[in-house]
Amino acid sequence: MSAARDMLCDTARAVFAEAVTAGIAPVEEAGFGLLLVPEEENGFGGDWGDVNAVLQIAGVVVPDLPVAELIAGEAYQPAATVSLMAGAMGQALTLSIDHVNTRQQFGRPLGKFQAVQQSLAVMACEVRAVEAAAAALALRLDAVGLDASAADFEIAAAKLRANRAVGVVTSIAHQVHGAIGFTEEYHLHRVTVPLMRWRGAHGNDAFWAARLGRQVAALGGHGLWEAMTARGA
Amino acid sequence: MQGFALYPFDPPGDIAALRADLRAWLASNQPQDDVVSRANCWASFDPDFSRALGAAGYIGMTLPARYGGRDRHPLERYVVIEELLAAGAPVGAHWIADRQTGPLILRYGSEEQRQRYLPGIAKGELYACIGLSEPSAGSDLAAVRTSARETAEGWRVNGQKIWTTGAHLSHVMLTLVRTEEGSERNAGLSQLLIDLDTAGITIRPIIDMAGNHDFNEVFFDDVLVPHGALVGERGQGWKQVTAELGLERSGPERYLSSHALLVALIDATGPDPDPALATLIGELTAEMWTLRQLSMSTAAKLAAGEDPMVEASVVKELGNAFEQDMPRRVQAIVTSGWDDENDLAKLLRALLIASPSFSLRGGTREVIRGIIARGLGLR
Repeated sequence: MSAARDMLCDTARAVFAEAVTAGIAPVEEAGFGLLLVPEEENGFGGDWGDVNAVLQIAGVVVPDLPVAELIAGEAYQPAATVSLMAGAMGQALTLSIDHVNTRQQFGRPLGKFQAVQQSLAVMACEVRAVEAAAAALALRLDAVGLDASAADFEIAAAKLRANRAVGVVTSIAHQVHGAIGFTEEYHLHRVTVPLMRWRGAHGNDAFWAARLGRQVAALGGHGLWEAMTARGA
Repeated sequence: MQGFALYPFDPPGDIAALRADLRAWLASNQPQDDVVSRANCWASFDPDFSRALGAAGYIGMTLPARYGGRDRHPLERYVVIEELLAAGAPVGAHWIADRQTGPLILRYGSEEQRQRYLPGIAKGELYACIGLSEPSAGSDLAAVRTSARETAEGWRVNGQKIWTTGAHLSHVMLTLVRTEEGSERNAGLSQLLIDLDTAGITIRPIIDMAGNHDFNEVFFDDVLVPHGALVGERGQGWKQVTAELGLERSGPERYLSSHALLVALIDATGPDPDPALATLIGELTAEMWTLRQLSMSTAAKLAAGEDPMVEASVVKELGNAFEQDMPRRVQAIVTSGWDDENDLAKLLRALLIASPSFSLRGGTREVIRGIIARGLGLR
């Protein structure tokens, strides 16, 4: 990441931490609504790569606050939700790794059991796929000057991929946590419940799959590869 | 694993032109084989095609020109490989030599080995196989027992390799052997590049459940191999092999082997699909697009000299799942008789039967997940 984006993320972490109790006001005051507004219009500038990074933090720290709506308009909400989901999934993985390396049963950490290792490997693959989808979508949006209609293929693919990861990620995270993960006190639900909500928000699986499927069918069998390679790399 | 960002895939040169040139070349040079050979096409062996592809400059691309290569960037090669796979071109003959053996000889081999083998590889004329698995060393590769003892005349090799893809069609085998008597596990191993016409080598076919002859068992009975066959450092075989496996796991072949089926499905569906078919095509496309991003990012990281062992394993795990899932899901929704002879039915049958091997070759699913778990800090 660039130094500017690192600084932006540091600011986001500090401001969002305050917003956990104070609500959206400190996020507004810190000027996150000016992200994506060009500098010559007195905004902060920045690109969707920056938004992706900021929203991944928001997805972990303040999943219930309308940070995505503050930063971007309606047309960008599906893309924004992918970033929130990527962040929340990364946090679910981190919590799960920490838990299985700490919690002991049968005289050793849970993470020493192959069954647990294999489950977490499956989960990590899903998380990494969604992180990659969010990053690739950001590259496309920035390459087309934030024209959401020119990134329709990537928005559909990324939101659909993120949606499809939710079931695997939330169920494995809860399974390896055991009963403690099902309590109000422990913070796993602070990312898993929003993930369940985001799967259905701004287009569920059926919505994006049908839309993407129709778009691809119109391209024809060989057209899919030609279109995919023409759109990036 | 945390804080993952895509490694920028930024090959030098005009990539659009590279793709266009290759597509034009394929349009006039790709054999119009049976559609089944276009699926799982890195197992389709066609020496005539390989020679033509080599002459056109698309094999050994990253090797230096003095060894017959083209001095191209690894990501230019990546683009060529994904185009060949997406087209279903029969790249099986030169596949292993181009992907693994050539780069490994360039990296670890002696000057004599480079001059002897690399030009033939780049021409698409010299084919290689990989001697790793043995009857008692499958997933537990460190259990290999095939031995090589150094004598005044050269190395004396005794033992057996198994599941060796393409041994019957290859000129050389890059063989993992135990060079240090009494050594155990991953110590004392070395790699020998063995010419397969050497006396004392017996190659027997193993026919797979699809009726194909791809893999073999290979016996070494007091085979005398010259001293110069040692690749890299004596005793460093394990390190060299694991680096080589990184090249094997993350390439576009992990999600494009079954692309011919997706093409046939889309063509059979037509431009106005019913909702169930549209949903299936949409879900398969989303997965394929995501896998491509992961694979390209991993390739870029490899090209930058990093060792993305965990990322490569993620690509293999997700790619295998995608490719095993696809024919099953297509069968679940498309009305097609098992013995029908249209393209879709033939591809479906072939891939349903071939797909169990996808999560076995190049490291089983369980081994791959173990590597990922270790990357997460769990072992």
